[in-house]
Amino acid sequence: MAREVYTYPKSRELFNRAEKVIPSGVYGHLGPAEGCFIPIEAYPLFGDRAKGSYIWDADGHRFIDYMCAYGPNILGYNDPDVDEAARKQREKGDCMTSPSPVMIDFAELLVDTVASADWAFFAKNGNDVTTLAVMAARAYTHRKKIVFFKGYYHGISAWTQKIDYAGVIEEDVANNLYLDWNDPDALDRVFDENKDEIAAVIAQPYMHGNFKDNELPAEGFWKKLRKLCTDNSTVLVVDDVRAGFRLDIAGSDHYFGFEADLICFCKALANGYNVSALCGKDFLKNTISSMSYTGSYWLSAVPFAAGIACIEKMKRLDCPRILIEKGEKLRRELIKKATDYGFDLHVSGIPSLFYLRIANDESLMLHQEWIAECVRRGIFFTNHHNHFVNASLTDEDIAETVAVAEEAFAIVQARHA
Amino acid sequence: MAANTDQKTLAYINMYGVLGGLVALCDTVPEARKILGRSGCSVGFAVRGGPQATLTFVGGRCILKEGTEDAAIRIPFSSPEKFNGMIDGTVKPIPSKGFTKISFLLGKFQKLTDLLETYLRPTEEQLEDETFLRQSTTIMFRVIVSAVAQIANHDKVGQFSASNIVDGAIRMEIAGLAKAALIAKDHELTYSQKVPKNIMSYMQFADVKTARDLFDGKINSVAAVGDGLVRIGGMISQIDNVNRILSRVELYLR
Repeated sequence: MAREVYTYPKSRELFNRAEKVIPSGVYGHLGPAEGCFIPIEAYPLFGDRAKGSYIWDADGHRFIDYMCAYGPNILGYNDPDVDEAARKQREKGDCMTSPSPVMIDFAELLVDTVASADWAFFAKNGNDVTTLAVMAARAYTHRKKIVFFKGYYHGISAWTQKIDYAGVIEEDVANNLYLDWNDPDALDRVFDENKDEIAAVIAQPYMHGNFKDNELPAEGFWKKLRKLCTDNSTVLVVDDVRAGFRLDIAGSDHYFGFEADLICFCKALANGYNVSALCGKDFLKNTISSMSYTGSYWLSAVPFAAGIACIEKMKRLDCPRILIEKGEKLRRELIKKATDYGFDLHVSGIPSLFYLRIANDESLMLHQEWIAECVRRGIFFTNHHNHFVNASLTDEDIAETVAVAEEAFAIVQARHA
Repeated sequence: MAANTDQKTLAYINMYGVLGGLVALCDTVPEARKILGRSGCSVGFAVRGGPQATLTFVGGRCILKEGTEDAAIRIPFSSPEKFNGMIDGTVKPIPSKGFTKISFLLGKFQKLTDLLETYLRPTEEQLEDETFLRQSTTIMFRVIVSAVAQIANHDKVGQFSASNIVDGAIRMEIAGLAKAALIAKDHELTYSQKVPKNIMSYMQFADVKTARDLFDGKINSVAAVGDGLVRIGGMISQIDNVNRILSRVELYLR
């Protein structure tokens, strides 16, 4: 029997209200433009509630959610252990004039957990800590230039954006150098051509950009980059905001066998509670101390308590391993079903953070059709971005996902027969 | 000029976008064909350090081609600034070839450019006429899409956006009214009136009103995606970067 095909009248009604008082209705990555809702009618625009691996939209439809709020949901939405720790701390105090000692507990836990960390600095969003990392590198080295890898995303501050982005001026990005990922010759070249000028290299642990298959580091790439940074007194920054704790509880640099000088966390750090962290090597601690960098809610205690509970539970579960196993199982079964229907489904990246692409059509239109049919039937995939696996995802959820994916493959196949 | 814009890019936009609008005008507006009648002529614009192209008027149609070698009337400009001055009316064009055809330049050609201006800078009253609205919007659409290609190829910021555009055809369309393609190859864009069968991505405006409101800056394309008034699909990185270039068109053609 065919499944219910979702429509979203309440979402539309809410969106119509929203766009009267909010620019573009829903802005940013959760919105229909940046979120690549193609076609827009296939996607819910507002959510109502969430539990475990599921979200329910404003129209009451349930979805198995493979976006996990774009990463924060790592244990399952409303995880009871994390929520209980947060509740207890909330009763004691959250946003206070003096920080709670729970901040020290959280920093100690991160230093014990993250292999390259000698200290931790807390903020709210990933952008807060990537910006701090770059400023700290400049403060430490007294240099201007920053090396990026094309396809990167490091946040929304002007320095992270590009010259053609609205509101960005030439001077904001004048010291940005862009290299191709996995190009060792380009690394040599950029250090040769900018001797004693590069403050930092900032990189995600592997290339998980949009609209193309994700790309793991080539053999020796990180080792070479680490050595070049060390030899040139350049700070190596790993932006682990997206991948953090889905590859390795000790940090994605540890997963790939090297140590960052600075490493940025957010998303999965507290299972949805609002906190980010910059961890770093001892030699940069004084530099960070010298900087003027703070925010109204950065030292709030509830997210710290949630973060402690989240990390402890991730450790107990051996979370990265089980996420990779679940992702691998899903990957195998999706590819098998795709093959049955004549589709060349590419599933790239680390399985806990997998990226999907139907490669029969390089324009991605076929892929967008398939994703839309999955979403209309209760599987929240996206057509442009990597996905996220969470620990509450069950074998039954994976089986349901594969069944919906098969139905969607059949529909798209019939449409193009 | 607006910050971060340049005279050379403006000259290319004026050549292929604005004067190229005469091609769209003759295709779209019967009055233009009437002005031309059966007589033919060609006018070449040779800009030192800028574009070189010829408009050929024949059989009531207009064709734009690169180069000025075959032009009956040839008008040289010592710089992009001088050429841009002709477009905004501050520089008087002086032909170097085709003095016997000067009556075409001062007569029919002048009438056509005046008519083009009417369609590119219409009054609110004129836009109340449905036929005029459709014709004006069609011509503007073609001028703007042509301008996108020129900005991608010549403007410093546009070139950065183009450097992130993968190869393949991008279909631009006003549903039920007009379509054109931008062909991306090695990070350069070419305007094509003919849309190839195989495209990499598309951007479709739902109707004339949506297109008009976008051109006039009354609505935003990102917001319009949420309303379903702008449809996008395919290789969205192409569309994302074309949209960034589109936002620069008004810096040159305001």
